[in-house]
Amino acid sequence: MRQKIILSLSVIAGLILSWDLYRIFLLVPDEANQGAIFRIIYFHVPAAITSFTGFYVAMFTAIGYLVTKNLRLDSIAASINEVSLAFASITLVTGSIWGHVIWGIWWTWDPRLTSYFVCLLIYFGYFMLRRAIDDPTARARLSAVLSIFACIDIVLVWKSIEWFRTQHPGPVLEIRGGGGMAPGMEAPLWWNFLALLMLSTALILIRTRQQDMKLEIDALRRHAHAF
Amino acid sequence: MKFLRRTLAIAAKDLRSEIRSKEAVNASVSFALVILLLFSFAFDLEPEQIRDIAGGLLWLIFAFAGTLILNRSFARELTNDCLDALLASPVSGAELFFGKCLANYVLMVIVECISLPVFAIFYNVRLPQRLALLFVVMLLGSWGITVIGTLFSAMTVNLRLRELMLPTLVYPMLVPALIGAIELTRTLIIGAPLAENLIWFRILIAFNVIFTILSLALVEIVLVG
Amino acid sequence: MSSQNYTFMFIGFTVAWLIIIVYVISIALREKRLREELDRVKRMVEENEKAKR
Repeated sequence: MRQKIILSLSVIAGLILSWDLYRIFLLVPDEANQGAIFRIIYFHVPAAITSFTGFYVAMFTAIGYLVTKNLRLDSIAASINEVSLAFASITLVTGSIWGHVIWGIWWTWDPRLTSYFVCLLIYFGYFMLRRAIDDPTARARLSAVLSIFACIDIVLVWKSIEWFRTQHPGPVLEIRGGGGMAPGMEAPLWWNFLALLMLSTALILIRTRQQDMKLEIDALRRHAHAF
Repeated sequence: MKFLRRTLAIAAKDLRSEIRSKEAVNASVSFALVILLLFSFAFDLEPEQIRDIAGGLLWLIFAFAGTLILNRSFARELTNDCLDALLASPVSGAELFFGKCLANYVLMVIVECISLPVFAIFYNVRLPQRLALLFVVMLLGSWGITVIGTLFSAMTVNLRLRELMLPTLVYPMLVPALIGAIELTRTLIIGAPLAENLIWFRILIAFNVIFTILSLALVEIVLVG
Repeated sequence: MSSQNYTFMFIGFTVAWLIIIVYVISIALREKRLREELDRVKRMVEENEKAKR
């Protein structure tokens, strides 16, 4: 049953993404100021929204663990955070490439990229913490608390960097060209978002099963060595 | 009332222990001086430019030197199973945490008060006439660093790579507080009107309030389970 | 400018897809490794049980 869900999600996601690629490359015209590179928004923005959604869903799942003490929820939370981290990396890299085309520099300390980078660092720390703890209960407990802190902090990080950058305007990258997009051009963006959501759900399901397998292996090991 | 009494008892214990050994403060001040020295090699700037970046330099020094104090906070309880004894005592997790926060805070402010004049001398930065306001900013910023640092010190106390993990986890989380403190310090040092920058006061206070409450609420889970 | 634009657009898309593909491959490899380890540990437990009897 589960295999079928994973497979169908992946296939549907793949189909939507292919259809969108066709639309993006052949049907959507070049944007007036930015030319072809503009199309990267169709990946950049959905990846960003997917990863952010993931981090917050993971936080609620982690709170669920703290309430119910069901280790399954911790596996799910960790998987969601991992997949979201992958999509956050995609967001950063595509944003950086966009920046290079528009301004000729690979990196700029504009609000969104900087906030994303901080987000990335926080979740790298999250996974470092998880690796450093052997006991599954302690690992679940501490990751959950870190997840809560991270998600609340991200809001403050975002706002403070935004205000900082309005006072020290550097090469500000207005990545979200979405404000002026004609309705015809906007649709692939939301379809891509749906596709990425489905893809990430499939990946999360796989990773969760792998986390459960790991727990089972550890339990069996302890059982074997106890005698 | 009991909360306050127990919290102060814990704070007094930590401070007394620190006054007797003076380990953390000495290490922290030495580290601050070393960073000041290294920065002097890294930057060779006009006085005008130094005043502009003084805020940033100062808070980087405070943050780095502060980590030494924060790291020891819970780590010092590991020998002789003191941490277990504390957790088994009638003192609740929140009281233990808050007491340590207060002790760390006092130590951090002491280190900062020593570092600030040294910084001003080394870099020829004239301290602002609104010194009281600068002190307020130092107090606000230090509390943010202390709260997050003490909580993560509790989180990482039993880990192998404790000294490595604490800075890795703490610094990204401190970004809003550090930006706010840096901006306010910069404004005060270059003499710009504060009225335009009140947003940073709000961010600092919001950061402190939110994370103090959050830490008090969650520290029991972190320490005990 | 236009052709450079197109080049970078393709690079951008390729990189995004590469990251996803590398991630999926790493998940698949992890799956294989975990299954092997699970079988190995299960066999070890069974042998322990048999040896006890």
